Amino acid sequence: MLRLPISERPHWQERAQEFGFHFHTMYGKPYWDETAYYQFSLEQIEKHIEEPTEEIHQMCLDVVARVLEDEELLRRFCIPEKHWDFVRTSWRNGDPCLYSRLDFAYSGQGPAKLYENNADTPTSLYETGFWQWLWLQDNVDRRALPLQADQFNSLQEKLVNRFHDLQYLTPGRELHFSCCKDTEEDRGTVQYLQDCASEAGISNHFIFVEDIGRDATGQFTDLNDQVITWMFKLYPWEFMLQEEFGEFLGSNNVRWLEPPWKAILSNKALLPMLWKLFPEHPNLLPSFFEDELDKAADFSELVKKPIFSREGGNISVVRGTDSKLLSDGPYGQEGFIYQAMHPLPQFGKNYTLVGSWLVDDLAAGISIREDSNLITQDMSRYLPHVIL
Amino acid sequence: MKRSKNIDLARMRKRVGANFLLRPLALGVAAALVGCSSDEEVKVVSSVDDCVTKTQLDKAQCEAAYQRALDEAERTGPKYSRAAQCEAEFGSCHQSSGGFWMPLMTGFMVASMLNDRDRGYYSSGYNPVYRYSGSRYRDRLMTADGQVIGNYGRSSYKVGKSAMEPKPKVTKTVSRGGFGAVASAKSNWGGGRSSSGSSRSWGG
Repeated sequence: MLRLPISERPHWQERAQEFGFHFHTMYGKPYWDETAYYQFSLEQIEKHIEEPTEEIHQMCLDVVARVLEDEELLRRFCIPEKHWDFVRTSWRNGDPCLYSRLDFAYSGQGPAKLYENNADTPTSLYETGFWQWLWLQDNVDRRALPLQADQFNSLQEKLVNRFHDLQYLTPGRELHFSCCKDTEEDRGTVQYLQDCASEAGISNHFIFVEDIGRDATGQFTDLNDQVITWMFKLYPWEFMLQEEFGEFLGSNNVRWLEPPWKAILSNKALLPMLWKLFPEHPNLLPSFFEDELDKAADFSELVKKPIFSREGGNISVVRGTDSKLLSDGPYGQEGFIYQAMHPLPQFGKNYTLVGSWLVDDLAAGISIREDSNLITQDMSRYLPHVIL
Repeated sequence: MKRSKNIDLARMRKRVGANFLLRPLALGVAAALVGCSSDEEVKVVSSVDDCVTKTQLDKAQCEAAYQRALDEAERTGPKYSRAAQCEAEFGSCHQSSGGFWMPLMTGFMVASMLNDRDRGYYSSGYNPVYRYSGSRYRDRLMTADGQVIGNYGRSSYKVGKSAMEPKPKVTKTVSRGGFGAVASAKSNWGGGRSSSGSSRSWGG
């Protein structure tokens, strides 16, 4: 695994315009960065990332099954009691899922270590599935990269195939896509998914989360008063479960993407549960609930993460009784978990995180994020990669 | 190969301005031809007896088709909160179990040419049709989503495939804004990049 400089494609910003990639620069700072790329060997990709990704996904499904049968665990995962049946039913019915992203600390040597599972609302999808694919194609075409350069990135192909399957599993329904207002990045991600769904032949619509309505019986509606029967929401389950319309969830006949059981996986309580069920697994970091910190005495440094958080918010480092806040944010009301410190590898001045994508249960590619800080946040730069 | 074998770049392009030609014109013509060839001839029947007389279905099949059409009408038919609104557009209306006013179904569609498979269980063909009586489309027959199939009283109609497909259910929205409050509260938090005034991603 190497970080190598490369010249930018001339006029790539115009190419971004042509393909509708509007958030490559955010708030005056580069988000998409093609002044360098990461190079992996095929063995690194297949043995160190692809295999553990699929294995950990199966381990995560074991955690879901375990948690849903145990009320004490459901409380630890901060699932509101009134929604337990909603979440359980989606699991027992086998509601299909679309995608997720596992975040790893990986340096090229030794096992990749799981930081967390973005199983509910993963983003940076378009940049991965399409835009970095195009970057490789363009650079091979202009001979800046060798012809045999490959990329671990079958994301778009797998998404389209998965939408084909989902249509078969969800017959007779049109799919409504949704995200919050005022976030170009989320709208871009959802538009990409709509494009993939359309390619698979699914009739689809878009509505902002804030515009969703309900009728007298609690069915959800779009702005044309059409009843919503199948919905993709780029909006966290833990928010929806506590909001006003949350009371109608489960009583109206809606199929969800991601399905409600993903609330168990996009939850940092997953990490101590994985460590309990699969102790000493080479791809896991020792992790603990707040009331188990006596078991963590061997670790001089722990990372304290909120049960619910997004984009690296509210993270601290704990050394004994000393705690240092590394990132600010609006999260943490539900409590915290503790993970043994395992800093991101450094390439030059950059701390590098590998996001490993799954479509359903198949590993589908990676995305690389870089930051000058130890914590990867929403403004961390995105860099492309190759396999050579 | 560990990456997507092929991505159709033409599909991935987004329209950026009037001078950007998205697709060749020929595609529109081709699509129109496909549209014509997929047209289907249907009968519109108003009752079980009418169905037995005009179509290839037998009595039991007609009864099942009629019931299916009634269910579809209840599910997808136009809904009004006041009787007068409904009557202004469709004349005869009734109050549904949900309390809305809905037009009476004028009849339902049955394909003229049925193969053996369709005859046994033809799940999506029996869409209800309504006879519009307001001045704008007087005596036009239309499906629940407002697609006009022709004037009332013809022995058969040519319709596109989409007219035969089940319609999405519509209802009356009584409130909006019940989702999004948590994101809105958290976006008031001033850290990170939100100082620019635009909100953060709710993904991760």
